Parts: sequence; C-alpha cells; structure tokens
Amino acid sequence: NMGITRDRTHKRRKTGGRREQLRKKRKFELGRPPSLTKIALAGTVKRVHTVRVRGGGIKLRGLRLDTGNFSWPSRGVARKTRIIDTVYNASNNELVRTKTLVKNAIVLIDATPFRQWFESHYLLPLARKKEKKSAPKAADKPADGADKEGADPGAAGGPISFTRSKKTMKKYLERQKKAEVPPALLEQFASGRLYACLTSRPGQCGRADGYILEGKELDFYLRKIRAKKTK
Amino acid sequence: MAELNERAFQKQEVRGKKGRRNHYVKNVGLGFKTPREAIEGSYVDKKCPFTGNVHIRGRIFTGVVTKMKMQRTIVIRRDYLHFVQKYQRYEKRHKNMSVHLSPCFRDVELGDIVTVGECRPLSKTVSFNVIKVSKARGGSKKTSFQKF
Repeated sequence: NMGITRDRTHKRRKTGGRREQLRKKRKFELGRPPSLTKIALAGTVKRVHTVRVRGGGIKLRGLRLDTGNFSWPSRGVARKTRIIDTVYNASNNELVRTKTLVKNAIVLIDATPFRQWFESHYLLPLARKKEKKSAPKAADKPADGADKEGADPGAAGGPISFTRSKKTMKKYLERQKKAEVPPALLEQFASGRLYACLTSRPGQCGRADGYILEGKELDFYLRKIRAKKTK
Repeated sequence: MAELNERAFQKQEVRGKKGRRNHYVKNVGLGFKTPREAIEGSYVDKKCPFTGNVHIRGRIFTGVVTKMKMQRTIVIRRDYLHFVQKYQRYEKRHKNMSVHLSPCFRDVELGDIVTVGECRPLSKTVSFNVIKVSKARGGSKKTSFQKF
C-alpha cells in the first residue's frame, strides 16, 4: 500500500516554510494501515496475518486475538489467559468502544489461571465464596513426594484439600506468610476478571501480552474508569 | 504543568534491577552534576537526561533562555559572530533552538544561561537536552547580544 508514507518531506520546516518535493515516494518510506486488532468473539478463531518487511523479515499482524500471556508482577508468574473486554484507553475512547487491542490498553482478563496458581502455590483459597464444601481433609492421600498436581481443578478447593506430610506443609506455611492479596485485587478475583495492561504490540508481533494492574497504577486506572462510567 | 491531567499512568521505564524501589537516576557524564531535584524528586519524564531514556552524546552548547511557554521544553538563543572576509569584520548572528527542559530544573527564568547537550531526536525540532542551568547576570535583557 503505497499511499501512506513515513517521510518528513511533506512537513513544513521549523520556520514554517514549505518544503518542495524532492522526489516521488519511495518504497523504503512506506507505511501500512493500522491493524486495529480486535478481541476474537467467543466462537471465532484468532486471526494473524504475516507481512514481509524491509530486509526480509516478518511481522505478525494480529487481527483477531482472544488470549494473551499475562503476568502478575508482584508474584512473578505469567499465565495464558483469555481476554474478555477492553476497558480503557488513554489515547482514544473510540478504541475502547470498538474493542481494539493496542499497547497500553487496559483490558479485562480471565482470572482463573491465576487463581489456580495461587491456590496451588499457597494452599489458601482465593476470594472463594463463604459456603464452600467443608472437606479440608479429603480422603485422598498424596503419593510419595507430595504430588499436588493431581487435583481436578473443577473440584471445590482442589489442591487445598489434599493432606500433606508435615515436611511439605512447612514449605507451604512459609509461603503463606507472604500470601496476602490487597483488597482491590481480591474484588477482581471474586468477580473472575482482572484488570490488565497490554505491553505487546498486537499489530507488530501478533500477540496480546501484558501484566495485571496492581497498586498505584490500578488505583489510577480504576479512578479513570469510574469517572467515565459516571459521565 | 498539566501533568496531573495525564490520561495514562506515568511511571518510569526502569531497565535493569527489578527490585529497586527508588527512582532510577543516572550520571550524565562529562563532568555534569546530577541535580538534587532529579535524585529526590518524584516526577516522571522519559526525556530527562538524568531519570529518563536519553543519553547525552555529541555536541554541548550554551545559550540564553528566551521562551518558556512549552510543556517541558524551552527555546534558547545562541548568539555568535560571523566573520565577513571581504570587510575583515564581524557580524552578529543568532540561532534559536528548542530544547527539552527536565522538571528537575525548577527555577529557570528568562535570561538564564543554560548548557545543553545533544541527544537523539526527541521531537520534530528538539534534539538537545538541558543539563545545566546557571543564573543570569543581573540586568541583562534576553534579546541583547551575549557572547560566551
């Protein structure tokens, strides 16, 4: 698409004077239209096109994406999760309305992989509703070596309900000391959706990766989102 | 400065040590002192030579501050003499330059003498960054000729 260029010769000088056209548009100055990556709807498949770029390389132009690799910075874990919705964009409200995925967009992601990790790492329930099945010590005994991965993720309190030897419990008790999750995040886990910020550029690499918002940054964006809702 | 109205959360892009809580500050080099405001302050400016993602390399110039109306950037004026061969005499010339001014330099006024260092292009017209400010001599007007 030769219509879009990245040259500067069409711009005015600093003094305000016009610049004459020295030459026609060249291919090395070309630009391409924006990809405007959208969230892939529930039934549809993700769509990524390849583009051959200058020098022979490839850019992966994400057009429809549904999942991304999101990290939880304070815990140092990353999981592949489904992207549910766009929620805020600092540059353009239109991008939120059209559910366009761009770098630094604030999105809602599915919380389940992170909850699963948390519960198996700390052996503490994360934002579970009060009436859970009272089976803290299930009948299953762990295999030698304290295998905790065998739990069915769908069962209530899966990994938590294994009994473990004292030695392995010591490891978990140590971890539990640092397990506390701030209330702002707890609410999000209870609803099953976390606020996250995209850090990858979907139109360049074909991925929508990012990190879960925490702390001051989370407060900042929550305020912005609420302000928009009340308008 | 309209920083409080930013639409995106301002934070420092810190490369390197993950656990560092402090403000990342660097030494610009070439014998220039990092202002205390840069070390202690809490502003976020990715174009600041001390706390941002720019490096000072290349030319170092000095100039007089003439305009401070832009956000985080100022216009400085550099005066110089040009020798005319035929008449064996000098003529006065000047060039204006748009220069990025980090928030760590707080009490900058018109007429201050400012040292700027070259960095990568920060915008269409800005490729220099203020690295030192020295106060104006009393009574010098901004448009008068000042040779350094």
